[in-house]
Amino acid sequence: MTRRPVDTGAPDRLYTVTGGRSRADDSFDLVTLVVAECGPSAGMQSEHVHILDLCRHPTAVVEIAAELALPITVVRILLGDLLATGNITARHPRLGQTAASHPDTALLQEVLHGLRNL
Amino acid sequence: MSVSAPPTPPRTQKPVRSTPAVPLLVLPATAAAAGAAWAAAPETARSWTATLAVTSWLCVAVSVGLGSYLVGRARRTAADRRTEISALKGRLAQDNAGLAHLVNVALPGIAQHVRDGTGADDAVARAAPASGPHLRQVVQSFAVLVEDAVRHAAEAESRRQQAVQEAHGVTAELERLTEGTLPAAVEKLRDGTSAENVLAELEWPRGAGARACAELFVRELAHSERRTAAAQAASAKSLGRVQAKAVSMLADLRDMQDRHGEEVLGDLLRLDHSTSQLGLITDRLALLMGGRSSRAWNRPIVMESILRGAVGRIAAYQRVRMHCSTNAAISGYAAEGVMHLLAELMDNAANFSPPIDEVHVYVEERTAGIVVTIEDSGLKMADAAMRHAEQAVSGRTNDLASLQGTRLGLAVVGRLAAKYGVGVSYRPSSRGGTGVVVLVPPQLLAQQREPGPALTGRTFGGGGVSAVPGPAPAAEATGIARRVPDVRPVERTGLPGQTARSAPAAATPGGLPMRAPGRTMAEAEAERERRDHHRPPAGPAVPASRDAGASFGAFHRGRRSGATGGAPDSEPPVPG
Repeated sequence: MTRRPVDTGAPDRLYTVTGGRSRADDSFDLVTLVVAECGPSAGMQSEHVHILDLCRHPTAVVEIAAELALPITVVRILLGDLLATGNITARHPRLGQTAASHPDTALLQEVLHGLRNL
Repeated sequence: MSVSAPPTPPRTQKPVRSTPAVPLLVLPATAAAAGAAWAAAPETARSWTATLAVTSWLCVAVSVGLGSYLVGRARRTAADRRTEISALKGRLAQDNAGLAHLVNVALPGIAQHVRDGTGADDAVARAAPASGPHLRQVVQSFAVLVEDAVRHAAEAESRRQQAVQEAHGVTAELERLTEGTLPAAVEKLRDGTSAENVLAELEWPRGAGARACAELFVRELAHSERRTAAAQAASAKSLGRVQAKAVSMLADLRDMQDRHGEEVLGDLLRLDHSTSQLGLITDRLALLMGGRSSRAWNRPIVMESILRGAVGRIAAYQRVRMHCSTNAAISGYAAEGVMHLLAELMDNAANFSPPIDEVHVYVEERTAGIVVTIEDSGLKMADAAMRHAEQAVSGRTNDLASLQGTRLGLAVVGRLAAKYGVGVSYRPSSRGGTGVVVLVPPQLLAQQREPGPALTGRTFGGGGVSAVPGPAPAAEATGIARRVPDVRPVERTGLPGQTARSAPAAATPGGLPMRAPGRTMAEAEAERERRDHHRPPAGPAVPASRDAGASFGAFHRGRRSGATGGAPDSEPPVPG
């Protein structure tokens, strides 16, 4: 990540986002798919609202982290909160199904080529 | 001048008059006695008896005659003396009368004449002439003396008048000095004018003493002003470096938090927290020293971030629970000030409440602006302490001399509140401690970009996510009454708070206009917002219809940043 100019960042520090926690439970890894079970409700912090908005469709943890521009661990802590209150469900992509459903490597390379040619 | 009464008249002595018949009677009687003695004497002794008798008689006669002569002479002398005495009495009475006249009439007359300005000789001549050379001499010397005395008195009087006049002049000069010149000098010196210029520009007293005194005063004051200014400038400069260092450390830490994984995240967060607290302390000092905040935001900051930014700078941030029910954002130029102000107040609340109790922060949007209530459940502040705090946060005393020891936070709050027009007031909290009500005026709020449906009653902070959407006690306690809906009450068309912002942006002492920091940025920001607002929306910005490319890109970015760190990378997302 490139170094940002100093004052364009957000004023909130990460420990205020997580409430001082720095350890996430192990319910999530990078590719865990997260689905929102309900919409955002009153009394939620903005990151939770954002996550619930994002996860109307199954979304991977890394994707959420990128959208929120937050470190993975912080996102996992936030997701842990939501999971504890039952607002989301998490699901590991099953390996076999994943392998079967994933597109071919050749196709992916073609897509990559196409993207680079854009 | 009164003179004692003339001596009592001499008593008239009754003269003892011995009749002249007495000697005449004595002579025949003695003659008869001598004849009888001669007749009675025997015949034989008749001759010497007769001789003796005649001799004795003669002796008696001579004695009587001599006595009569002497008596007569004494009588004559006595008569002469009486005549003389009466003459003398007459003269004495005359002298007395003259003296009385002199004392009662002539001398006062002379004195009066002399006082009226006549010369001594003239006055003496004009007065009734005194009898006798001595009296004349007395009158003359009296007149001279009076003339002298009158002259001296006149001189003394004129000297006195002169002295009184001088005293009046000096008093007026001193009064002008203390009431006009010195305050003007103090003001000029405060504005940075040098002592020489002040001494040259103002009118100083002519009296040497007062002038020296005033000059010494001006020079000393100029010196101390210069010292203060130098100390402040040096502090502000040095603190500015510390601030820059702290900010870059924070940026580095944020960078590291992104790059490194869970193992070091806790340590990094702890460092981040310490650095943020350091930033607060440095900013506090810098603001007191006339410096600037370490950060300046160039875009509106939503209230939630403001609160987090504030709470992240205090030590006991985990004890602060925030209930934010607004989506309003604060203009960039004021965001840092409001953040710092709230951080100081939260720090105060957390420091003065029991370490196990929570500090609650409520944010509501009202027509009057955004109301932030910070309530602790510590001890109630004593009335004096409350008054002191009120006075400190009022921002009325902008003097470093009023700072006391380590209690700098409230002074900074006062300055920030005065600068941005934020209202800060203390009141007893309904939770048992002290409550601070901060009113952020609408001029400081940024126009909202998307006034969509707002989530109200957001609660965050503290250790967990359990929402306590309790009704803000500010509502019942302050009685600010009417709750307004969360949509913006007034659709602002112009630049937000342009008129109000011009108020704090004063002019320099020299009369040059002063630009409020961040103002240009804020205006540019508002301008851009207006443009954005007028442009028809290109499409739904919500990620509901995100295209697959964006999704893929996000996935890729997230994976890369996660993979470079120590995040669990056990399952590669793309096999092969």
